[in-house]
Amino acid sequence: MSHALIRARRLDLDQFAAAAGLHPELVCRFVALGILDADRDPGGRLWFDPAELAAVARIRRLRAGFALNYAAIGLVTDLLDQIAALQASLRTARGRER
Amino acid sequence: MAGADQDFYRVLGVPRTASQDDIQRAYRKLARENHPDVNKDPAAEERFKDISEAYDVLSDPQTRRRYDAFGPDFRQVPEDVDPETWRRARAGAGAGAGTRAGAGAGAGPGAGGWSGGFGADVDLEDLLGGLFGGRGGAGSRAGRGWGAVPGADQEAEVELTVEEAYHGTRRTLSLTSPTGTRSIDVTIPAGVTAGQRIRLAGQGGRGSDGAPPGDLYLAVRIAPHRGYRLEGRDLHVELRLSPWEAALGTSVAVGTPAGEVKVNVPAGTSSGRRLRLRGRGLPNPRGRPGDLFAEARIMLPAKLTEPERDLFERLAAVSEFDPRRRR
Repeated sequence: MSHALIRARRLDLDQFAAAAGLHPELVCRFVALGILDADRDPGGRLWFDPAELAAVARIRRLRAGFALNYAAIGLVTDLLDQIAALQASLRTARGRER
Repeated sequence: MAGADQDFYRVLGVPRTASQDDIQRAYRKLARENHPDVNKDPAAEERFKDISEAYDVLSDPQTRRRYDAFGPDFRQVPEDVDPETWRRARAGAGAGAGTRAGAGAGAGPGAGGWSGGFGADVDLEDLLGGLFGGRGGAGSRAGRGWGAVPGADQEAEVELTVEEAYHGTRRTLSLTSPTGTRSIDVTIPAGVTAGQRIRLAGQGGRGSDGAPPGDLYLAVRIAPHRGYRLEGRDLHVELRLSPWEAALGTSVAVGTPAGEVKVNVPAGTSSGRRLRLRGRGLPNPRGRPGDLFAEARIMLPAKLTEPERDLFERLAAVSEFDPRRRR
């Protein structure tokens, strides 16, 4: 469905919002809350890495699953990312130990 | 639909007499454990879906009453049917046709995704709606207005022997998901290392409403091996030497996953010395292969024979070597 978009290297706000199925204002709010990464160019326009679409999907699943507010989602995603990084280094360390 | 034959009370692990508070507590706890973004196990997605579906029904006292009265098929029973009448009708005229005909009429606008639905498309919505609570009219969490949400990434572990990591291998994985068990064939390339993740695009959690699925990541674990130790792509082996081999130098065949290689041991090799064979470790699909390190370990017979003891005594008498003197 959105293959053409996903192949693009970065998306502007409208493209990203359309691909994510969100209103652009909500996307801006996610950026303001720091739960979604975006680059701001000198003209003030937001640009998104297509990989951030997966981050949006996670935000939406967490919100639907736990009725969390967006600030709490920021905390949860940060913690989940930290756990993932710790598990990865644990796996590497375990592999080395043997 | 996966949850149709499951008892919603059993799914939540609560007795049929549980209070609404008990139901909510059980649901919250199970949801935290099995949410696809928290639990990367592919089987968790199915559990989460079942849990959500059970909670959808049991959290609303009215649907809970209907579920208690009519069982798993309660959605196909028109709203105004009396449980007693229903039971009698069911026992009598071999259930099925009659109730189905009534479902479309009885469901009405409030039942959203369920109205008149026995087609494949509704089954799909039912399947995915449970994951995100986006189903219309099915309870308190409905009408959030989320559209399609892509699926979560999942993670599974795969254990390889050192040989498999060296040569590459094929694995058939069976994964449990809301659509049942499926198996996928995975080609594991030569030279994967411990802790590395292999990405299988589109094999992760399912998206809702036709959104793309997530990815499945296979985390590689290397099984311990009697002969080898792996450090990244470097292969470490123990090289056992007799004292005279270590003193005089020799050439020893060392087993590697790719067969035997000859290691030249220079004269005067002490225990712990590492002999490196460049590029004889694990292959690297993107760059330089690992190295093979053979670590010398000087072994002695536990019991010396008479002539051996005699020779060592003579050696001890003439040698001025002091291994404890620091230079």
